[in-house]
Amino acid sequence: MSATLAPSAGVTFAPVLERAFPDGAVRVEPRPAHDVPTLVATAEAFPAAARFLRDDPSTSFDLLLDLVAVDRSRLDGPPSCRGEERFQLNALLYSTKRNEHLRLRVALPATDPRLPTLVETWPASNWFEREAWDLMGIRFDGHPNLARLLTHNGFVGHALRKDYEAGQRWLCTDEDVLQTRLAAKTDLPEDVFETTTLNFGPSHPATHGTLRIVVRLDGERVVAAESECGYLHRCFEKMSETHTYTQVIPYTDRLNYCSPMINGAGYARAVEQMLGIEIPPRARAVRVVLSEFSRIMDHMVCIGANLVDVGGLTTFWYSYQAREEIYSLLEACCGARLTSSYARIGGLSMDVPANFVEWCRSLSRSVRDRIDEVDTLLTKNRILHKRMMGTGVVTKEQAIAWGFTGPCLRASGVGYDVRKDKPYDGYDEVDFDVPVATAGDNFSRFHVRMEEMRQSLRIIEQVVSRLPGGPVVSDDYRVVLPPKEMVYNEMEGLIFHFKNVFEGIQVPAGEVYSFTEGANGELGYSIVSDGSGRPYRVKVRPPCFPLFAAFEKIVVGGLVSDAVATLGTLNIIAGELDR
Amino acid sequence: MPGKVVTLEPPAETLAVRLYLPLLSGMALTFRKFVSNVLSRKARPTIEYPEERRAYSDRFRGRHILKTREDGTLKCVACYMCATHCPADCIHIEASEHPNLAYEKYPTVFEIDLLRCVMCGFCVDACPKDAIWMTKDYELSFFARKDAVYGIPELTEKPSDAAPDGPGYGYRPYYGESPKRKAGQFEPSGLAVLPMTLARNAAINRMPPPPPPKPPAPAPPKPA
Repeated sequence: MSATLAPSAGVTFAPVLERAFPDGAVRVEPRPAHDVPTLVATAEAFPAAARFLRDDPSTSFDLLLDLVAVDRSRLDGPPSCRGEERFQLNALLYSTKRNEHLRLRVALPATDPRLPTLVETWPASNWFEREAWDLMGIRFDGHPNLARLLTHNGFVGHALRKDYEAGQRWLCTDEDVLQTRLAAKTDLPEDVFETTTLNFGPSHPATHGTLRIVVRLDGERVVAAESECGYLHRCFEKMSETHTYTQVIPYTDRLNYCSPMINGAGYARAVEQMLGIEIPPRARAVRVVLSEFSRIMDHMVCIGANLVDVGGLTTFWYSYQAREEIYSLLEACCGARLTSSYARIGGLSMDVPANFVEWCRSLSRSVRDRIDEVDTLLTKNRILHKRMMGTGVVTKEQAIAWGFTGPCLRASGVGYDVRKDKPYDGYDEVDFDVPVATAGDNFSRFHVRMEEMRQSLRIIEQVVSRLPGGPVVSDDYRVVLPPKEMVYNEMEGLIFHFKNVFEGIQVPAGEVYSFTEGANGELGYSIVSDGSGRPYRVKVRPPCFPLFAAFEKIVVGGLVSDAVATLGTLNIIAGELDR
Repeated sequence: MPGKVVTLEPPAETLAVRLYLPLLSGMALTFRKFVSNVLSRKARPTIEYPEERRAYSDRFRGRHILKTREDGTLKCVACYMCATHCPADCIHIEASEHPNLAYEKYPTVFEIDLLRCVMCGFCVDACPKDAIWMTKDYELSFFARKDAVYGIPELTEKPSDAAPDGPGYGYRPYYGESPKRKAGQFEPSGLAVLPMTLARNAAINRMPPPPPPKPPAPAPPKPA
C-alpha cells in the first residue's frame, strides 16, 4: 500500500526551472505516482514562480484550478509544522496546451501568514484567495477586495483552522455591506446620467434561492455587478474532518445535488487512490454508467431551468421527465432518488438490480427521445437564438484566465475534458466525442450541453453492452465492510466489521489531488490524511465556483435580462458552490 | 480508443429559421403530447399523488424498523455500531443487561431523531445482528419536534410494515459475494495489516504506567 516516491515524475521542465531559479527557491517535491507533480517554492519566490509557470512555453500552466490552504498544526511532523511552516498554500494548475496538472506549494508561518496576490497572474485566483482568507486566515497583499466569502461579515475567526472548534456558531447581525460598497463605487463612466443599484437575489427565482448579485444599472444595462455566495454554506469541509472517510459520502451527495452520483464516485476515487486499491471492473463500469446518466440529468436540469428563467416553460417539463426516469433507475440501484450515497470506498454499496442492463437500454432509448424533444423545441428556435446568441460571451482567453472547466470552457473553444484527456474508470476504452463550440456565448453553452448528453448516451450504451460480472466491492476488508454472511457467522468478519465502523478506514498519511469530470467541469478532491480514520483536510474544487466568480465580469455591459440567461447557462449549483 | 474533439457549428440561418418556421414543429410536438395525454392515461408521465403512488424498489431507504426475534424480543444487542456509523449522529441508545442470559444485552432506549436522519442507510450497513432495516415509508411529517424522535415502540417491526397494503421492507443488509462461497475457505491470514494500524494497536495495547502512590490524605480539620 505504500506507494513509492517518484522524485521528478511528470516534471519534464525541471531543467528549465533550475535555470530560472538557480538558488533552489523552487524545487521539485517527490510525490507518489497517483498524485499530481508538485513544486515547492519559498514565499519570496512564489509570485515569480507563478508567473514563470504561466508564461514559460515549456510550462505554460495557464489555468488555475484551485487554491488549497492546509493548516498543518495537528499533523505529525517536524516541530516546524506548528511554527514556521504551519500553513501551506497549494495552487493547483493545469496547462491547456500540454495537458498536465501541477501543484505549486508554499509554506507560511503561523503568525500573520501572508502572500502577494496572484490575481494578476491568474484572475481566477480572486475568489479562491478570498476563500483562503475567510476559512484559513491567509492574507493576500494587493488583493482588490479581500472580504469574507463563504461566511458572513460578522464571523469571528477562521473556520478551517485546526484550533477552531467545529461546533462554534456566530449569529449574523451585520448590516449589509455589499450593497453600500457597490453603490459607493465611483469608477463609473462620467456620462452616466442616472444609475440605480438593484439587489438581485438571493430570493429571486432566477438565482434559485441562494445566489445574490448586486447590479448597478444604467437603464436596463449593467454597468457594474458584484456577486455573493455563501447562503448555502454548510461547512462541508469542516464537517468532513470530524467524520470518518465513509461518513463523508452522504455529504458528497449534497454538493452538486443535480448529479450526486458523480460527486460520490469522485470522492471514493480520491480515497481509493490514497489507499492504492483497485476497485472491481463491474463497480467501475456501473459508476461510469450512473455517472453519465447523472450528467444527462444535470444538463437536463440546467437547460430546463435556464429556459424557465428566460420564459420558456415547456422545455422544463420534457427535460424533467428524463430526470425523473433516471431517478427511478438510481433508486432501484441504491434506494434513494436524489441522495444516492451509492459509491463506497472500494466499490459500491450493493450490486445493481438483475434487470439493470435492459433497464439502462430502455432508459437510454427514452432519454434519447426526451433529448430529441428538447432539440425540436429549442435548437432551431429563432426566439431562443435572439435571446442566447451573442449574449454572455466569454472568449477563449477569458475562459482560461477565469479558471473555467467543463461545458463552459468547451463552449469557448477549449476541448479539455478530463474523461478524454486524463481518462479514468475505463473512459479510454469507450468511443465518444468531445463537443466544442467557438462562440463562447449562451447559445454555445446550451449547444455543447445538448451534444454532450448524446455522447453520454453513447458511452452508456457501450459500457452496458459489455458490463463485466463479478463483485461490486473490493474484498479488502480493511476498507470495505465484509459481507454480512461473514459478519454474522465468523469471528474474523466481525472483527473487520468492528474495526471498520469504529476506527474508520485507515488511510495512509499523505496527500492527493484527484479529479474527475463533473457535470459542470473538473470536480477535484484534495485530501490530506494524517494516517487516522478521519480525513485531516478535504477540499473540494467545485466546478461552478470559478464560473460564478466570473459571472460579475461577464454580465457587465449587457442587459439585466441577459444576466438571467447567462446565470442559467453557467449552471451554478449552490450546493457545491457554497459547500 | 480514438475519439475526437468535434466543433459544433451554430444552426444555419436558413430562410425557414428566419421565418420562425421551426417553431411549428415545436408546437406540433406539444400538441401531440397534449392529445396523447388527454386520450391516454398511460401516456401521462405525472402521478396523481396521493391517490396514486410510485412503486419503489426493495432498496428504498425510508423509515427504520427494528427487527424482532421469534419470541418478539428485539434482535438489537445495543452494540452502538449504528450510532457510531451514523454520519448525522441521530441514533441514541442506552443499553442494559437482558434478564435472559442468552441475549446478554439489549437496548432500554433506542431513539432515532428522524429530523436529523439523512436516510443514508449506514445504520443498516453497520448492524452486525441484522437488527435494523428500513421500510418504504417515506411519509414522515410531524406536528412537533418531539414527535420526530422515534423510540422503541414506534421503531419495533409491526405486521403492517410487511402487509400487502403496508409500506413494505426497503433497504436491508446486503449479503454480497461471500468469499467462502467463492474460494472454498476464507483465509484471514492472507491479508496484510497496515503498518499504522499495527502501531496504533501497539499503542493501545501498551499498558499504562501504574499511577504514582497517592500522598496520605490530610486529616479533616476538626470542627471548632
